Amino acid sequence: MLTLTLNEIPSVPLEAEVLSPDILAPLTIEAIRALPVHLGKRERRLDDFFTVDGEPGDEIELRGDLARVKWIGRAMTHGTLRIRGNAGMHLASAMQGGTVDVFGNAGDWLGAEMSGGVVHVRGDAGGQVGAAYRGAPTGMRDGLIVIDGGAGLEVGMRMQRGTIVVGGPVRDFAGLQMKGGTIVLGQGAELRTGAWMNRGTIISLQPIPLLPTFSYAATYNPTFLRLYARRLATFGCTLPYDERHGSYQRYTGDAAVPGRGEILVWRANR
Amino acid sequence: MGGKITCTLGEVKNRADFIIYWGGNPAECHPRHFSKYTLTPKGKFVPEGRKGRTMVLVDIRETPSAKAADIFLQIRPGKDFEVATTLRALVKKQRVDPALVAETGLSVEQLQDIVDRMKRARFGVIFFGMGVSMTRGKHMNSGAILNLTAEMNAFTKFVCMPMRGHGNVTGADVVLRWTTGYPFGVDLSRGYPRFNPGEFSTVDLLVRGDNDAALILGADPGATMPQPGIEHLARIPTIVLDPKVTHTSRLARVHITTAVTGVSAPGTSYRMDEIPLPLRPALTSPYPTDEEVIRRIRRAVAAKPAWTPAPSRMMAIA
Amino acid sequence: MLRITGGTVYDPANGVDGAVHDLYIADGRIVEASAMAEGARTIDATGMIVMPGGVDVHTHVAGGALNFARGLVPENQRAARKFLHHGDRRAGLGGMTPTTFATGYLYAGMGWTTVNEAAVPVLSARHTHEELHDIPLVDKTSLVLMANNEFVLDLLEAGEVERARHVVSWLVWAAKAYGIKAVNPGGVEAWKWGKNANTLHAPIEGYKTVTPAMIIEGLATIADDLHLPHPVHLHCNNLGVPGNFATTIETMNVLQGHRAHLAHLQFHAYGGDDWTTMRSESARVADAFAANPNLTADAGAVLFGDAVTITADGPWQHLLYQLTGRKWGNLDVENETGCGIVPYVYRDRNLVNAVQWAVGLELLLLIDDPWRIFLTTDHPNGGCFWRYPEIIHMLMNAEFRREQVQQLPEKARQRILLADLNREYTLAEVAIITSAGPARSLGLTRKGHLGVGADADVTIYPTRPDHGFLFSYPRYVIKGGAIVVEEGDVREVVDGKEFIVRPACDETIEDYIRPLFEKVYTMSFANYPVEIERLRNPEVVTPDAQ
Repeated sequence: MLTLTLNEIPSVPLEAEVLSPDILAPLTIEAIRALPVHLGKRERRLDDFFTVDGEPGDEIELRGDLARVKWIGRAMTHGTLRIRGNAGMHLASAMQGGTVDVFGNAGDWLGAEMSGGVVHVRGDAGGQVGAAYRGAPTGMRDGLIVIDGGAGLEVGMRMQRGTIVVGGPVRDFAGLQMKGGTIVLGQGAELRTGAWMNRGTIISLQPIPLLPTFSYAATYNPTFLRLYARRLATFGCTLPYDERHGSYQRYTGDAAVPGRGEILVWRANR
Repeated sequence: MGGKITCTLGEVKNRADFIIYWGGNPAECHPRHFSKYTLTPKGKFVPEGRKGRTMVLVDIRETPSAKAADIFLQIRPGKDFEVATTLRALVKKQRVDPALVAETGLSVEQLQDIVDRMKRARFGVIFFGMGVSMTRGKHMNSGAILNLTAEMNAFTKFVCMPMRGHGNVTGADVVLRWTTGYPFGVDLSRGYPRFNPGEFSTVDLLVRGDNDAALILGADPGATMPQPGIEHLARIPTIVLDPKVTHTSRLARVHITTAVTGVSAPGTSYRMDEIPLPLRPALTSPYPTDEEVIRRIRRAVAAKPAWTPAPSRMMAIA
Repeated sequence: MLRITGGTVYDPANGVDGAVHDLYIADGRIVEASAMAEGARTIDATGMIVMPGGVDVHTHVAGGALNFARGLVPENQRAARKFLHHGDRRAGLGGMTPTTFATGYLYAGMGWTTVNEAAVPVLSARHTHEELHDIPLVDKTSLVLMANNEFVLDLLEAGEVERARHVVSWLVWAAKAYGIKAVNPGGVEAWKWGKNANTLHAPIEGYKTVTPAMIIEGLATIADDLHLPHPVHLHCNNLGVPGNFATTIETMNVLQGHRAHLAHLQFHAYGGDDWTTMRSESARVADAFAANPNLTADAGAVLFGDAVTITADGPWQHLLYQLTGRKWGNLDVENETGCGIVPYVYRDRNLVNAVQWAVGLELLLLIDDPWRIFLTTDHPNGGCFWRYPEIIHMLMNAEFRREQVQQLPEKARQRILLADLNREYTLAEVAIITSAGPARSLGLTRKGHLGVGADADVTIYPTRPDHGFLFSYPRYVIKGGAIVVEEGDVREVVDGKEFIVRPACDETIEDYIRPLFEKVYTMSFANYPVEIERLRNPEVVTPDAQ
């Protein structure tokens, strides 16, 4: 396992897209230490900021408060990236495979436009989780993002496939312009969930305010949720589905598009 | 995916018979808007002037602009997105939930009436102000109105336009777009232009403290930013170029007084509809122009050793 | 001072077809050997191809419409080629809507040294010139939009042709333009009420007598009477519509007796009745074109891949938005014109796109006289200008072309003739369609050739490229005598010139225009004309008055 320990918090954001198994695994420790990172407008060496130890390979552990380190895990296709601390913006952006595990918080744009792999954030994430970058038609194309804590604005914006699970509270515009895929909101969300969604499924375990362009369709217990629940249980997420405990109210929308997405809101039995 | 459907102000003057002002108070903030462009002038195809036009004002409170309106729709604060989204659905004859619509402060009937009027118009225009673009939802509120406008074109001619703030915001937007490809929030630290609102936009940078120096020209963030941003500006080396000593000047390291653009310094101003107007100075000034100061600073910086590596070594990052 | 020795020179305007000889350059011009002094640098061009710098007769690179497009597609900018700031090299982005500095680097990097910005509204001409000012390395011309200008339309309606001529002359100089552009005559005006003008001889929306045909004929007459160096540059009605070849041929009939340049002819050569039956009618258009020697045209060829459609044809863009559900931008300009923008992707699997791709090449191959048909993609509508080398390759290599056709869906192959065309362009013909021909059509007498007195805009290509196509990577590009590009790198950044025209004008026409302007525009009349000081290195052409 390769370990990189942050020596001091950078004065301005540090862009370190080299911190990916694809780039690090084939290199020697000396070569790794000399890799370029960018402190604002200046190019520096990786070891100006990190102490690098261990065995280069597919398993990498970053240690320290990396909240100001951006682009970790960018476009990675395999391997395990573990962060014992916080991570900055664009973590796992365009990721295609492998695993990212954060024992801390993540910044905005987590897993933006990713197409495969698994990301698990034990703390909170920022906004635009699994989203499309500005102007782009499509966000996350596949993969799984699990966030134990809360998240910010525009979670899953324009996602096409894949799953995002957020255990804590989420802000406005979750599922904005969704094209497909699934978002699970463990503690609901603030405003405008599912705004302008085309397709896809948003599952909220708490009541949430809905836009006037969503219509109530039915109350039921969809069978696909059992499979989902089983999958998510491996991450410590509990997805209720048993009719002995409650049911889901199904709303369809967004009529503004008009879209055929659905929002399922859990209603526990009394 | 929607888009941006707009025109220059003369098109509004000559053709518009249905005008919506949304989230703005033109009577006080754009005081000649009604008389130059939208309500009173005799248009080439609206020779009856005011009589040939219907004006709808949508706002959270009744401002002086309401006096000029034929219809005033008072919406609850923070409901612009809901109203615009509902209108989009009604335009397409889709179902909406009356109880949820009522939470906006307006009824389905009121909104359906507006949609009918919009469709009957010969040429409709929506002017949206900071009540839309700066309240909760921000760019999504603007986006809702843009999409509504684009979709209305299936029925009749419809355009929209943002009511810009003071100064030459439009000009900065236009020039940044042609030189960097992006309208604002442009980062050049990797040697080429990058854009990501929220990451590189001013408020966010300052509040997070992501920069270690600041040059402020023609703006006063020391008066308008959230407190953490102001404190950050005070901590780092901040340089201000302004004709006046501003709030920002008072916490800056350096203040340079410059001539007032448009009064003592020439240039070009871009109107809210992106039409360029020449600025011909009427007065002289003992102070240098912003341009002179920036050129001198730039010459001094260019004399320093280059900090960027040769281009072939730079990895392009999105 | 510069000497280029041993190159294989293609200078068709002066009858040079692959002769090996030396060129001499001093003070930015081609000179006689005897005019050279000591101290000249020598470029050994032995075994290399030497041509006059490319001239793009129809492109969209500067001004309100293009800048509007830039704002609509941040995702394209993100994926675009990056130009890094270094020394006096400015940062920028390539892609489909390049930023201004990058535009200059990209054109020069390809060996093109003159570009014609094809669509400028008078009202925002100041903006266009500010952007042209920021495009380094190339010389420029620009064409001002006239075919939906309400002053002109009102005068044509009233039968006041002479006064219309003076108004047009005044507007061309106010815009500091080089010539007249006509787009979808009458249609852009009709779009201001959400309509279009599909029939050449029907009065347009809001008018009783004026028809598109009258506008076309009127502007062609005016351009001829004003002795403008470039004839009226016309984007015909019904662009992009299946069956529009008939409109194009009818337009040629309307233009008989006049000079004219037909823009992006590919978009106007379709048969069929609807999208499912659309097919190529390039042969009929090429025949009619051959029978009308007063006309020139540019190809407007399509390439598979990303594009951004930017055109003053507003109604067409609304249709494209409704058909594709893509982003749509629209900007109507008071009293003058408008523009519509839809980002688009041409796919070889799409029947319509496959026909479009074939038609551009067919026209270039069917029209025999290379002095009349020029290489363009209507950038960025059909494809990006920096992909011109791909088209040249297909024109020169019939086998490669046929291989491309074979990859199209069977249904598409039945609707096109491309596979049956065997012609292969020679290097001389390439030099004509990329340089000598457009320069002649634009009336730029010092461009497009390498005779004594010409501007020293010279491109030198390796005969066998290391990668890419033959014309992708010039070894050297010389602009005004300076070596600006060497081995694919921009070595020196120079500023180009802007050619503008000052036609004869009855100055009292301003007394006619001013009160009308004050009534229907929304700015002070004094602010309308562009100040010549804003242009970088203007060169004024004054055509003889009649």
